[in-house]
Amino acid sequence: MFDRILLATSATEACDHAARVAFNMAERYKSYLNIFHVLGLPTRAYSQDVIDVKTRERVTADEEYVAWVKEEIRGYYERLLEKTGDNYGIEVAVGSPHREILRAARNNDPDLVVMGGSTGHMEDSSYKKTTAGSTFQRVAKAAHCPVLVVTRPAASFWGGFSRIVLGTDFSEASDVAFEYALQLARALDCELFLFHAVDVSAMAMGKVMAQDDIEEKLRVARRRMRSRYVPKMPDFESYTMDAWEGLPYVEITKYAREKQADLIIMAHHAKRDASGQAPMGSTMEQVIVRAACPVLSINRSVKK
Amino acid sequence: MHAFLTGPMFYISIAVLVIGLLVRVVRYIRGLDWKLDRVAYRAHRKAGMKGAARSIFKWLVPFGTRSWRVQPVMTVVFFVFHIGVVAVPLFLLAHNMFLEEKLGFSFFTLPALAADILSWGVLAALLILVLRRIALPEVRILTTFHDYFILALTAAPFVTGLICRYDPANYDFWLLIHIAAGELLLILIPFTKLSHVVTFFLSRAQIGMDFGIKRGGMKGKGMAW
Amino acid sequence: MPEGTLCNKQPVDTEEQLKALLADKGGQIYYEEMKHLDVDVEMLRQTLGKSLKSRLRTWLSMCARCGMCADSCFFYRINDRDPKQVPAYKIQSTLGEIVRKNGNVDNAFMHMAMETAWAKCTCCNRCAMYCPHGIDVGVMISYLRGLLYQQGFVPWEMKVGAGMHRVYRAQMDVTPEDFVDTFEWMVEEYEEDYPGLNVPVDKDDADILYTVNAREVKHYPEDLAEAAILFNIAGENWTVPSKGWELTSLAMFAGDWEACRLQVESVYDAMDRLKPKRMVGTECGHAHRATVVEGPYWAGRPDGLPPVESIHYVEWVAEALRTGKLKIDPEKRIKEPVTIQDSCNYIRNHGLRDVTREIMSYIVEPGYFIDMAPNGEHNYCCGGGGGFNGIGLYRPQRNKALITKRDQIMHTGASLVIAPCHNCWDAIRDLEEEYQIGIRWSFLKPLLIDMVVVPEHMKPKE
Repeated sequence: MFDRILLATSATEACDHAARVAFNMAERYKSYLNIFHVLGLPTRAYSQDVIDVKTRERVTADEEYVAWVKEEIRGYYERLLEKTGDNYGIEVAVGSPHREILRAARNNDPDLVVMGGSTGHMEDSSYKKTTAGSTFQRVAKAAHCPVLVVTRPAASFWGGFSRIVLGTDFSEASDVAFEYALQLARALDCELFLFHAVDVSAMAMGKVMAQDDIEEKLRVARRRMRSRYVPKMPDFESYTMDAWEGLPYVEITKYAREKQADLIIMAHHAKRDASGQAPMGSTMEQVIVRAACPVLSINRSVKK
Repeated sequence: MHAFLTGPMFYISIAVLVIGLLVRVVRYIRGLDWKLDRVAYRAHRKAGMKGAARSIFKWLVPFGTRSWRVQPVMTVVFFVFHIGVVAVPLFLLAHNMFLEEKLGFSFFTLPALAADILSWGVLAALLILVLRRIALPEVRILTTFHDYFILALTAAPFVTGLICRYDPANYDFWLLIHIAAGELLLILIPFTKLSHVVTFFLSRAQIGMDFGIKRGGMKGKGMAW
Repeated sequence: MPEGTLCNKQPVDTEEQLKALLADKGGQIYYEEMKHLDVDVEMLRQTLGKSLKSRLRTWLSMCARCGMCADSCFFYRINDRDPKQVPAYKIQSTLGEIVRKNGNVDNAFMHMAMETAWAKCTCCNRCAMYCPHGIDVGVMISYLRGLLYQQGFVPWEMKVGAGMHRVYRAQMDVTPEDFVDTFEWMVEEYEEDYPGLNVPVDKDDADILYTVNAREVKHYPEDLAEAAILFNIAGENWTVPSKGWELTSLAMFAGDWEACRLQVESVYDAMDRLKPKRMVGTECGHAHRATVVEGPYWAGRPDGLPPVESIHYVEWVAEALRTGKLKIDPEKRIKEPVTIQDSCNYIRNHGLRDVTREIMSYIVEPGYFIDMAPNGEHNYCCGGGGGFNGIGLYRPQRNKALITKRDQIMHTGASLVIAPCHNCWDAIRDLEEEYQIGIRWSFLKPLLIDMVVVPEHMKPKE
């Protein structure tokens, strides 16, 4: 399932949690770990100079510098590298982070991309203002493989997956996410929790809902889950289905906590919404920053 | 002396002027090279002519270009100077009488008052141009001896001419100096920056063709000079 | 005659030479070698004899030294009205001196001339509009750059850039395979959102041949996808050439006229090969000037025109909006103060003033578009044109030069600046980074994608 893992990292604290998850996975599943770092975009038109994302200094990204950066990364992950043995590689690229991660994902065809949270500096950088959405959003939107993002210490993650929560909204993308979750659960012998949250906020429904309406919606959701997913897992037993009402991201986070999940899988919607906002609903974004376990994003184009 | 200056010397200076300027024009045009200048003069004659005409015309009109409009003081000085410097020599009554006698034709004649105003205008403008060269750092750094020389060369006939006008006592003497200064000016025009009496038109036509043919003239509404 | 190993009179013609030059961090060794580089006076004389003809010679000699060009130059204005920044002075003290001394100049002079040619002039040609004699100092500085390049006195990045064009026929090390592959990748990435999206490569007799800037391929490939999306929405019969897709020319900034010819001929070859009706170039000002305005002359085309009608991206957008090929959802028009930065190279040098304003009338809610002052043909350079953006040696001068545009933008009160030119876009990005005035900036494509009406057949089914 995870023969090749691409860890996209800034080799800073911001990516420490993600790195720990990636190394633990690599150890557990004997994966080849590709440690991938993007130096940044040339600062001057067609020049060779870049702002190093780590040091914030203006540097010339020549071979010598790249070799130095690789050595720095090796040093930074020295202890974690014991987990992978020789089964790893370090790559350094120049460009916009999301684009270079996608390019690497395309060239190396990994089974999984692991990413950390924002590097922090990027928030105040003017690069960001030109482009809606973070590196993660843009990678998650376009990658042809699942993207695992870890922003908080993954308290309940000890190296392997055993309890997977799939958050579904019954979209086509969610079907892809379901297929992947099922495949993963089978391969790694996990328990699978299928979950749907009915959004009852007045903002979503346009009114304050009556309790009867809410309960009716929950019944419909459960029926839908059963009819949509049960026929697809004939010889798979260890699953549970639930539908809760509330604010979707809160409910998913709560549900995952209650079930002691070590992975949440959600579908990434490539489409922009009507307001022209950046892709991906805010639900996944919110889950990512709140969940105590890694969150895996799947878009429609992920190969089965 | 008077006979020489108004006789052979007059014809010589006119000849030097005309031939010198003709050579300038011919050499300029022959030296144009569509490949080096990167302007397809021949392929787009019509667009070229249009661009050239606009380029010359707009700059001959006071405040006709943005450059004239954003530097109004310079523009006024410039036009007062140039109108006077062209009109007075050609259209002064005395000059016309002289031309009639020597060459058998004459131009329209300026009223005496207008000629006076124009002449004084020229001298005032000249003074400002000199002061400007001294006072403004951006002009001072560019100024060479040649620039003062041609200003003096141009000033001489006007100064002497005005003295003739206002000092009848020494008229003959000043007239002689005036004629000599005028003829010296005519002779030197082709060999100094004063050759811009023709190269202005050539250069403006050329840049007009450049913009008219290559740099957007065949696309937009023509250069917004 | 001391010639450096990196800094010398030989252009970069092979990949090995290019790599050696690039390996020299920031051109340290290169500039050190330049201090000892000899001037080949004989070669300089011969070049002057062959190429300095009546137009340039007359310009040099007729200059009335009136100083009316001073205020037209943004360098002069932001450098505390330093008389040494007067355009006439800049050219007289360099090219003028070379001519007066008949090429008898030394190394120190050439260093001064190099700084003047690349750090005190962006060849924006604005002064040409303010000279009563019609003297175009920008054209002369560009000619001077050619002389300097020939003698090896050229900023490191310019030598690298010209070398890129010689080796790869692109401003960066992007091969034809990289280009096609990247374009296809991008289309693949976006076809989820726009079913049926495709990129026809090397299609014969298309209506539009699309050419780009190598930087898009290398760093902003989204731009390729956006171009594909807009062509598809507009229902255009378009194609990209696998060879001859590079519209730009750093060789033009460098003064390497031979590389300019090689580069532009690769594009013209694509035109001859694929016989498109028209060429549309991406949102890049200098590239348009290089390939469409100056290119025909480098390639020796007597009509001064490219083999097929060639237009800038803004011309295509204006036409598509005018004819309704692209329809804008009125709800989504820009509703914030917005201004446009027109590239000198298409506005002053190709008369496209009304075209960009026409586009604004379609995409901006009435009342929100504010033009800069001055604007149109009289607009100032972004501050980074003519290669200035890319030269490390002159970075402090460049950052200062951005002040003109910064103040122009601030006076409009706009929060969004549209820049349909890579160089302007870069300069505005940098000025925001340097001076933090709180603006956003954008090419046209991403803005159009956000507001264009997508036809039913291109909407994702779900």
